[in-house]
Amino acid sequence: MLKAAYRIAWKDVAGDFRRRATLSSMLFFAISVLVVFQAAFEPDRKEALRLLPGLLWATTLFTTLVGLGRVFQAEEEDGAFEGLLLASVPRGVIFFGKWLGNLLLTLLVELMILPLTMVLFNVDVWRQTGEILGILVLGTVGLTGLGTLLAAMTQGARSRETLLALLLLPLTAPLLIAGVQAMAGILTGGEVTPWIRLLVIFDVIYLALTPWAFGWLVEE
Amino acid sequence: MPPETAARPADVVCLTGVHHRFGRQQVLKGIDLTVRRGECVVLYGSNGSGKSTLLALLSTRYALRQGSYLLDGLDTTRHGDEARDRLVFVGHHTHLYGHLTPVENLRFFADLRTLSPSEARLREAVAEVGLARVADKPSRWFSAGMRKRLALARMLLANPSLLLLDEPYSALDAQGVAWLNAMLIRFQENGGAVVMASHDPERVAALRHLPHHLDRGILTPAPPPPRIEEPPSC
Repeated sequence: MLKAAYRIAWKDVAGDFRRRATLSSMLFFAISVLVVFQAAFEPDRKEALRLLPGLLWATTLFTTLVGLGRVFQAEEEDGAFEGLLLASVPRGVIFFGKWLGNLLLTLLVELMILPLTMVLFNVDVWRQTGEILGILVLGTVGLTGLGTLLAAMTQGARSRETLLALLLLPLTAPLLIAGVQAMAGILTGGEVTPWIRLLVIFDVIYLALTPWAFGWLVEE
Repeated sequence: MPPETAARPADVVCLTGVHHRFGRQQVLKGIDLTVRRGECVVLYGSNGSGKSTLLALLSTRYALRQGSYLLDGLDTTRHGDEARDRLVFVGHHTHLYGHLTPVENLRFFADLRTLSPSEARLREAVAEVGLARVADKPSRWFSAGMRKRLALARMLLANPSLLLLDEPYSALDAQGVAWLNAMLIRFQENGGAVVMASHDPERVAALRHLPHHLDRGILTPAPPPPRIEEPPSC
């Protein structure tokens, strides 16, 4: 089972590296968003530190949306998605594979944009990099979990990117708020634990329900 | 070819009282079909008669809403994953990933099943379908016939009890048709069961088969035609 999920993720990540499709789009989009924010706010160091959690999460959200819009693109080729559904593994395993591939690509982009953000906004939070990354990982797990399900739901829709954004934003709002607050807590010395707890709860809920919902969704 | 043949029941497919509808449109009406080991059932019928729907049901891609379907004695409604492990479906789409090479495509297929073929076995399967020279090239640029051959290589790898084919001769040249028929005859001789939809009785004639007609969702067996030996391919 795990081998199947890993293999689906490998197929997506390897495919993306070969086609240079999703990862480069996500990265380019993330850099554009950060540059626009920097040019619009021109914050000083203190202000930048206050804005950093919101900026990072907004960039993460937009970047995730770019990635999610393409998560099932490879499966449209020559009925590949149907081929996946003919595999002798539970639907949930297929979902986990698709989610894992998307998660890895998103985390890779986050790893690249974090230092870039710090340089661009001239904030010195290098010592808290580990904690910031931890929060980003926790939030991204839930964000991509629910996002992968919604991407599967909107796969056949004509304006799927718009629909995906419309569905994802309200449903992940609590997760994003928890992520912003947890990160702000780390940067300013405020409360962190309750927000991390909330992030974990959302992750568990999303990852427990989404594979089941995916199985129900793809059944014809 | 299929392993554990002796331990499995003689009937590979046992479909009883199957109805299927899309919305208000009744597509299949009370289908009963039994396919034994070594048999090849060919579904004939006009466009929209329900052939592809029946194949989709047999592949478990469509959930059974009315009736029962046993594959190798397994109730497919309750044991869908196990049932899928015993069949290979090659339809209009080949289910291949263009960015993967033939070997990688087969490895991916195997990993999504309970198969653990060696690299040598994967290459052997690719060679058996005549694609050895492009085994390490991305399959994106393959012709339709090459893609079909690669899709059929899955059968060699999986040794299924049931092979489902939807218009298998499309995109194949005369040599490809002879090759496919030789492969299917070998598959049948080794106890594999085949259900295929075709519009091409001349090409199917080389196979020992049981024709069935599907008309407006009703399946009726037709008398088996005499088998025509194909001239050997050059």
